[in-house]
Amino acid sequence: MRLSAIGCSLLVAGWVLYPAPVRSGVVQEAQEAPAEAELGIDRDRLLGAPQGSPLAGEELDEVTNELTSRMRCPVCQALSIADSPSVSAMAMKQEVRELLATGYTTDQIVAYFERSYGEFIRLEPKAEGFNLVVWLAPLCLVLVGGALVAWRLRRGRDPEITTETAAADPELEAYRERVRQEVTS
Amino acid sequence: MNRVALLVGGFVVLPLLIFLGISLSFDPHEIKSPLKGQPAPTFALVDLYGRTVSLEELRGQPVVINFWATWCQPCMVEHPVLLEGSRRYRGKAHFVGVIYQDSPQAIQRFLAQSGSWGPSLVDPGGEVAIAYGVYGAPETFFVDSKGVVVEKVTGAIQPATLVDLLENLLDS
Repeated sequence: MRLSAIGCSLLVAGWVLYPAPVRSGVVQEAQEAPAEAELGIDRDRLLGAPQGSPLAGEELDEVTNELTSRMRCPVCQALSIADSPSVSAMAMKQEVRELLATGYTTDQIVAYFERSYGEFIRLEPKAEGFNLVVWLAPLCLVLVGGALVAWRLRRGRDPEITTETAAADPELEAYRERVRQEVTS
Repeated sequence: MNRVALLVGGFVVLPLLIFLGISLSFDPHEIKSPLKGQPAPTFALVDLYGRTVSLEELRGQPVVINFWATWCQPCMVEHPVLLEGSRRYRGKAHFVGVIYQDSPQAIQRFLAQSGSWGPSLVDPGGEVAIAYGVYGAPETFFVDSKGVVVEKVTGAIQPATLVDLLENLLDS
């Protein structure tokens, strides 16, 4: 009787305790062998899953060249990664190539490099916010300059103005007449 | 003087002068890291003896990550600073070196003569250097116990800077 009671107690205790490790996940963790850390950076965490198709061959070369020509070399900062001979640029170009071959899109790759280096990594600043000054100011200057030139030229052709100038300065007009005669003779 | 020309000239030149004045207040050598305040890029690399070091496993204490090379003169200057720092903060912070564009053999020869302040990790292809946005050596990143980058120091680190940053990390 006593042994039966003890046995029942053990059974009940086992029944109660058995689900606990499973609920907490401890058993599951013990059953899976701990995975060895994959060497290098944790791409999944930094870039997320690839959102495009893996590239290969000529297409891979073309997209790599196009993308790296838009990214600034951190060492030779006036050059793109595509053009710079620095070791850093070559490493970055290789990284871009590998990411494209894995299936990451150009947007994902640019975002990744921006996360590391900042917007400075772009050779062309994004056309937003204060950066719009860089894009619009030259156009505005050309338009304003062109308008000024056109206005001055138009003013120069106006006969009234010419007449007024001549009337205002007869000596100048006499000199001009002599020059015309010497040139035409 | 033509008033219109003066006006237009002022309209063009004045903003340029203002921009020039503002830009003179910036230090051109200061390269701010966009990683400041962001989670440190996690990585796992092998040291010179084949042992794997993972940043994730170091969480719980501040980590000093130093990108360096034997060809880099400022790295040689800061080496004793990091040596002393690693001794002073042993057990309180981790010091990890990442080899930047250098050969493991050269690093080993140098460390055999000058002493080591932490594992020197081999970074094939410079993948980790790219993830950290390294422009050149030396660059030192301070990561807090939760894995967030709190500061990046470009150039040879000064003793006072190392101590200040680590003390702040340990206090927080």
